Amino acid sequence: MNAATELVCAPETTARRLEQLLYREARLLDTECWDAWLALVAPDIHYWMPAVENRRRSDKLGAWEPGRGAYFDDSLRELSIRVARFKQPSAWAEDPPTRHVHVISNVEVYCTEHPDEYRVYSNFVNYRSRGEADNDLLLGRREDIWRHASGEFLLARRKVLITQSLLLSKNLNTFF
Amino acid sequence: MSKKVFLMRRADLAEGQVKKVTTPDGCPVAVYNLEGRFYATHDVCTHATASLSEGEIIDGDVIACPVHDGHFHIPTGQAMAFPCTVDLRTYRVMEEGDEIHADLDGESDAATSAI
Amino acid sequence: MNQECSGECSPRLRQPGASEPLPFLDDLMDFERGRLSRRIYWDSRIYQQELEKIFARSWLFLAHDSQLPKAGDFLTTSMAEDNVIVVRQKDGAVKAFLNTCPHRGNRLSFSDAGNARSFICNYHGWSFGIDGALRGMAGKELFDASGMRPQEHGLHPVAQVASYKGLIFGNMDPTAPSLDEYLGDFRYYLDVLLDMDGQGTEFIGGPVKSVINCNWKIPTENFIGDIYHALWTHDSAAKAILGGSVSEVYKEDNESYHVNHKGHGWEFNLDTVGNAATLGDKEIRKYLYSIQPEVAKRLGEFRSKMIGSISSASVFPNMSFLPGQNTFRVWQPRGPGKIELHTWTIVNKSAPADIKERWRKGAMLTFSPSGIFEMDDGENFEFSTRTNAGFMTGQQDLYMGLGAGSALPDSALPGNVHHNQVNEANHRAFYRRWLDLMKARDWTEVPERDASRLPASAFNHPAPEVAAP
Repeated sequence: MNAATELVCAPETTARRLEQLLYREARLLDTECWDAWLALVAPDIHYWMPAVENRRRSDKLGAWEPGRGAYFDDSLRELSIRVARFKQPSAWAEDPPTRHVHVISNVEVYCTEHPDEYRVYSNFVNYRSRGEADNDLLLGRREDIWRHASGEFLLARRKVLITQSLLLSKNLNTFF
Repeated sequence: MSKKVFLMRRADLAEGQVKKVTTPDGCPVAVYNLEGRFYATHDVCTHATASLSEGEIIDGDVIACPVHDGHFHIPTGQAMAFPCTVDLRTYRVMEEGDEIHADLDGESDAATSAI
Repeated sequence: MNQECSGECSPRLRQPGASEPLPFLDDLMDFERGRLSRRIYWDSRIYQQELEKIFARSWLFLAHDSQLPKAGDFLTTSMAEDNVIVVRQKDGAVKAFLNTCPHRGNRLSFSDAGNARSFICNYHGWSFGIDGALRGMAGKELFDASGMRPQEHGLHPVAQVASYKGLIFGNMDPTAPSLDEYLGDFRYYLDVLLDMDGQGTEFIGGPVKSVINCNWKIPTENFIGDIYHALWTHDSAAKAILGGSVSEVYKEDNESYHVNHKGHGWEFNLDTVGNAATLGDKEIRKYLYSIQPEVAKRLGEFRSKMIGSISSASVFPNMSFLPGQNTFRVWQPRGPGKIELHTWTIVNKSAPADIKERWRKGAMLTFSPSGIFEMDDGENFEFSTRTNAGFMTGQQDLYMGLGAGSALPDSALPGNVHHNQVNEANHRAFYRRWLDLMKARDWTEVPERDASRLPASAFNHPAPEVAAP
């Protein structure tokens, strides 16, 4: 990633549109509008949430890498399979439903080398509550590539970096 | 002025290895063979009591101290990694055929030419 | 001058005094009637005793060979609640040490993995070699003057470290039987996972670590013998990935088994690819079918049908895996009501890179915290544990009698063999072993119920070119 590209902010209207889109995406996830969420995703999506390891700063291998452990390392096929499960009446862990909130902030929108693609950074706070006392809090950062095509924006790439190396939830029953 | 001492024969030290030689005066010297070329430094780490010849040569020309893993650049003696801050004393090596000598009063060429 | 302590002698790992077994253990289970007390999942006295009588004397999984390729490569993991450093030595051996400085007790390594020439404590800078020896400390002269001998203050070594076909295990008890004896004839079945073609296995993708608030025995018993739950628990995942329900495995016409030996267990049918099919990827099924003839020549036709069949297995006490689906995990206890799940993906070293990648992604898609199958297991495990907080609930018994009378005493297969994988025979065998260990003050008091009949040569398979006819 070169600093010059990083610093080219997207035009204000585009930035505003994409920020609003992230809020809308969060509301779709919170309200289990899975099909509408999938419709935001490009056919060539790579949706990646690597597992995070504790490694020393001097370790060249780093805390996360492509091809290592991951919670999501999905193309459209895998995302669709997950949505298909959420919609099954026999998804017992979703019945009664979990209550979700996604809070999105720290949105930054930049141009990329492609005139139709924008790099969008954002932070998320996800709080999930199930039953009486099953509450999970997860925070992280996202780095997206959103692509403009036929008048709308689609998510082409997402990298989600969560803060936990030991995931303190028994499952991840939403998207981030 | 120079103080030339015999260290060892070329065949006594394989490439990539380090060995300790104590001079007749009792000075401990670490001798290194880096790809066929010989170097010499004081054997005692400048940070804590440790014998560098018990350490490990890494990245081609760096000696890692066995106790706290501080690094020194062998040709110049330069301290390269925490916790070492004081540079290592080097000795000028003279390779005469099969014999390796050091000048205990001289520094290595690399050390004298380094800034 | 004394030799530096090699770490082999047990005094450097002080053993606990052998405590008396709990007095009420026999009330906890009735194998004839298939009854199990809920107290085993909730009672903290039982948990404390498990730390001593199960975990501190059993062989616990540490690492796969492939995770530590070079000298100095290390990882940190746990043996029950003891954090340990596992490190490859210069001579190729693997050693393991308690991850604690012997000076004032601080944790030594804070990394999950890496490569090291030494381990240095952040508190006073004591430095230890990868062999565990105390190499140096600041102010050494003062310690010398105090009469301290560094040879006596190296890292505490895990008493025994041994491996079987790539899986490295550790045991805190120097008197415990060897790993080979501990696994015994179960190695016949482990070869289905570990020795398909003589080239061994490797871990890819992982570890992924998560917390589940359940007792460690609940998921272990699930993997040791519970295919029955798949039909109901995993219906949503099967429909999502396969487009249909889980096959009705309880129908009698399937040839399927529960086998167990020394508390380890494997339940399986012989459809070769049933588990692999849950990944929804036909390339993986094709790969398994393509290697099956080679496996048949090496291990026989029967075992070649197990390589990816509908199956699951656990090695006592807390290591489990799914053949063909290739998730490999340890349920690390963190109190009676909590575990840390550590999961990896295991594949044949010789598999094509594309197949390995499909497995890495497929295993995580199905069995991980985001796994479409595993997501429904988590709640089952948690609430099967948590309900026992209720005083009256905790007094009740659980049923564990499925498959009574399904034993096949004349089977030629090694171990205790039972007909039909929809069964709880393996659960009963697991708890039988658990009870035997909980009642013993040391290994000499542990009864030998399952004698190993296979000779060592049964696990040395020749290279395919020179396979015996």
